[in-house]
Amino acid sequence: MMDWQPLLLTFKLALITTFLLLIISIPLSYWLAYTKSRLKPILETLVSMPLVLPPTVLGFYLLVTLSPSSSLGGWLNDHLGLQFIFSFQGLVLASVIYSLPFMVHPIQAGFSNLNITIMEASYVLGKSKIVTLFKILIPNIKPSLLTGIVLAFAHTIGEFGVVLMIGGNIPGETKVASIAIYDEVEALNYDTANMYSLILFAITFSILLVVYIVNGGYLKRFWK
Amino acid sequence: MNTLEGKIASIKTNGSLSLVTINVNDILFQAMIIETPDTVSYLKKTNPVKVVFKETEVIISKGDGCELSIPNKVTGNISTIEKGVLLSKIIISTAVGDISAIITSDAMNEMILQIEEEVTILIKTTEIMLSQ
Amino acid sequence: MIHIALQKQLIATNGVMLLDIDIEIKEGDFVTLYGDSGAGKTSILRMIAGLMTADKGYVKVNDRIWLDTKNKIYVKPQQRRIGYVFQEYALFPNMTVKENLLFALEKGQDKQIVNELIELVELGELKNRKPDKLSGGQKQRVALARALVRKPEILMLDEPLSALDHSMRSRLQDYILKMHKQFNLTTILISHEIGEVIKMCDNIFVIENGRIIKQGNPIDVFTSKQVSGKFQFSGEIVEVKREGIIYVVTVLIGANFVKIVADKSDVKTMTVGDKIIVASKAFNPLLQKIN
Repeated sequence: MMDWQPLLLTFKLALITTFLLLIISIPLSYWLAYTKSRLKPILETLVSMPLVLPPTVLGFYLLVTLSPSSSLGGWLNDHLGLQFIFSFQGLVLASVIYSLPFMVHPIQAGFSNLNITIMEASYVLGKSKIVTLFKILIPNIKPSLLTGIVLAFAHTIGEFGVVLMIGGNIPGETKVASIAIYDEVEALNYDTANMYSLILFAITFSILLVVYIVNGGYLKRFWK
Repeated sequence: MNTLEGKIASIKTNGSLSLVTINVNDILFQAMIIETPDTVSYLKKTNPVKVVFKETEVIISKGDGCELSIPNKVTGNISTIEKGVLLSKIIISTAVGDISAIITSDAMNEMILQIEEEVTILIKTTEIMLSQ
Repeated sequence: MIHIALQKQLIATNGVMLLDIDIEIKEGDFVTLYGDSGAGKTSILRMIAGLMTADKGYVKVNDRIWLDTKNKIYVKPQQRRIGYVFQEYALFPNMTVKENLLFALEKGQDKQIVNELIELVELGELKNRKPDKLSGGQKQRVALARALVRKPEILMLDEPLSALDHSMRSRLQDYILKMHKQFNLTTILISHEIGEVIKMCDNIFVIENGRIIKQGNPIDVFTSKQVSGKFQFSGEIVEVKREGIIYVVTVLIGANFVKIVADKSDVKTMTVGDKIIVASKAFNPLLQKIN
C-alpha cells in the first residue's frame, strides 16, 4: 500500500530548504560575486564541496558533530533544545548544506554577469547598496534566481545518502520519498516503489521543464 | 610649404585688414591678412613671425619682375629641379633660404629653366600667411 | 569653484602610470577632458564621483569637501550630488524609461521634474518602453535625463556620444548644451572629437599619460600656432596619396571630405588618422549661392 506521507514530507523538506537557501544565498552570492577579499576562494571551495563529496561523508560529519554526545550537539540540545540527529530539523540543516551550491552558483553567476555600471549608476543616483540590491540587481537576475530555486528544490527532493545518515528512517519525521523507495525495494514491494519513483520522476521532470521553458523564452515566443 | 622666419617691420591697418611688412634677412615681405593688432597679440612691431606660403603659389620669373603688381620678390639660383608629368618642383636658394616652387612642367620647359640659373621668385601678398 | 587634485597609480597597457592632476573649474563652466584612450580621463571622472579611490586627493565642490585623503575625508558616491552619464548608457533594464527617471528621485522630491525632463529630451512617446526597445541615441537621452533628476552640482559625461552616428551625435550635443544652460550645470565631458570639443566647451584640459599637458580655450589649445589664415578647419587625415611630385591629402572635416595638395616635406610627419588643421587665406575661397 502506498503511503502519501513520505511524499508530503519530501515536499515539505524541499520547500523549507529552498526558502532558507534563498535567504542565505542572496547575500552569500552577492558577496562572492563582488568581493575582492582573499578569503573568497576558500569560501567558494567550501560552498562547492557538496558537489564532489559523497553525501555520506557530509552526513557522517554532521552526525558526529551534532550528536548529543558531542560538545556542539550537547550544547545545542541543553541550551536551545535543538535536536538535529534523527529529526526533521536535522534533515533541513543537512539539506541546506548539501544543496547550497545549487542555489549559490546560478545566483553568483547572475550577479557576475550583470554589467557593473548599472550598480554604479544607482550609487551615483544616491541609492544605497541595499536599495540597489533589491531594486536593480535582483530584478535583473530573475532567470538565475529561478534556476537556483528550482535546482535546489529538485536536488533536495532527490537526496538520499545524507538524509539516511543523519535522519534515519522515522515515519512522518525523517522518512522521505527516496528513503521510502529504498525501503519498499528492500521489502520487495516493487509496485509501491514504482509508484513513488514514478511520482518523483513526473514531478521533477515537470519542474525542470517549466524552468527551461520560462528561461529559454519559449513562453514569450508563443504567447506574443 | 615654405616657412621663413622674420621680424615684423611695420603694420598698416584699415578696418579689419592689415598689410604687414616683415623683414626676413633684410629682404622685406608683405602680407595682407584679415587680422589687426587688436585681434591677435602677435601683430606687434619687431615681434618674430613666420612667413608661410604654399609652393604652388610661387611664381618664377627670368626677369626682375618689376613690371608686375607683385611686391614680394627674391632672387636666387635654382639648386634642384624635380620633373613630373604635369607638375615640377624647383628649389631656389636665396638670401632668405631655400624656397620651393611647384609650377607646370610645360611652363618649365618653355622657360628652359636650368640648374644654377638666376631667377626671381614672386609671391602675392594675399598668398602669404603669418604664423607665430 | 571646483578644485580637483588627484593622484593614483594606474595599471596601463604599457606598465604603471601615475595619474597626477590638479585643476580648477569655474562654477557653470563646460569643460572637456581631452586625450587618447588610456590617458586616465575616465579614472578622473570615477574618482570625482567616488566610484574609484584615489591614492592621494582633494576634491572640493562649492565649499564642500568630497575627498581629502590627508584628513581622511571621503564622501560616498551616494552623497556627492553628481549626474553621471556612462559611455554604455547603464540604464536599468528592468525599468521603463519613466521608471528609470523615477528611481533617481530623492525622498520627498517632486515628481514633476521627471515629466519635465522627459519632455525636454523629447521622449514622451517612448516613456513606457523598456531600454532594450530603444535606439542608441534614445538610450543616451534617457541616461542624460536620468542624470539630471537629482539636480546635480556636476554633470559628468564619459564619452557619451562615441557610439552614435554623426547626425545623432550633433542632436545629442544640442540636448546636452540645452541642459547645461537650463540647469546651470557645471559639466565635465570626456571627448576626443575636436569638433565636439570646440562646439561645446569653454575650457579644455589635454591629458597625456595621466598629466595635464595643456589647458585653456579649445580654439587656442588646438591652434597652438596661430596662423593668420582665416579659412581654418580641424579635421582628420583619411588618405595620403602621392601623385607625381606632389601629394594629395584627403581630410575629413565634420561630415565633409576635402582634398588638399601638399609637398613631400609637409606629409613627412603625417599619417592617416592624424588630427590636422587645414588653413587657407581668406582671399582664395570663392562664394557661390546655392539655388
